[in-house]
Amino acid sequence: MADAVVVVALLAVAGLATAAVANRDPARQALVLAVLGTALAVLFTVLQAPDVGLSQLAVGSALTPLLIMLSVRKVRRRSAHGKDSKQ
Amino acid sequence: MNGWILAATVVLAVGLGTTLWGVATGPLGRRVVAQNLSTALVCPGLLLLSQGYDRTSYVDLALLLALLGPVGTLVFARLLADELAEEQPRAWGLTWAAAGLGAVVVAVLCAVTGPGRSMVKLLIVGALLVGGNLLASRAMSGGFPGVSRG
Repeated sequence: MADAVVVVALLAVAGLATAAVANRDPARQALVLAVLGTALAVLFTVLQAPDVGLSQLAVGSALTPLLIMLSVRKVRRRSAHGKDSKQ
Repeated sequence: MNGWILAATVVLAVGLGTTLWGVATGPLGRRVVAQNLSTALVCPGLLLLSQGYDRTSYVDLALLLALLGPVGTLVFARLLADELAEEQPRAWGLTWAAAGLGAVVVAVLCAVTGPGRSMVKLLIVGALLVGGNLLASRAMSGGFPGVSRG
């Protein structure tokens, strides 16, 4: 019975990871990835590893989405610029 | 398994379940709303877990999440501003419900811990959570038109 919270966290991580893979658009993948980072932090916490959860929270909830979104924006801007110069 | 962990399990199951459903389906605006709500729903769960395991150092996780979750939402609100400008995603009912859940959990935990340093920390977590959540919701729905120029 005490493992119910572990089961909940594991199910959430499994579902979110599947959703992150199933999406095709990088912006939407980054959104799912941000929630996945939070769920992983919860999983680490209920497995009694709060230090790992702390670093996962710091990296997963803000830094990874920021890096992905910045790269997506740069790639989109560059491809739009390339199309303009071809015309 | 005590009542605190049971309450945390319920909060986390409902919170992570609804955000999984919201973030994986639907238009982009709904996904951003779900990402914002994930912070507001997981943070009370972490607070309840720290009470359930009887380790006050676990409150640091909730503090960091209350601080960084809205930052993550602001990243999306800023960098997806062009797409979100058409949809103007707003879910004020859900936002206030999540903020109310956070406030209730913080109030109950404050009543249990009693006055002291840990109560101040809990109050800081609650203020950061509710304030950051409302700020991120407003930024998402185009409440700050001056800064949305990407």
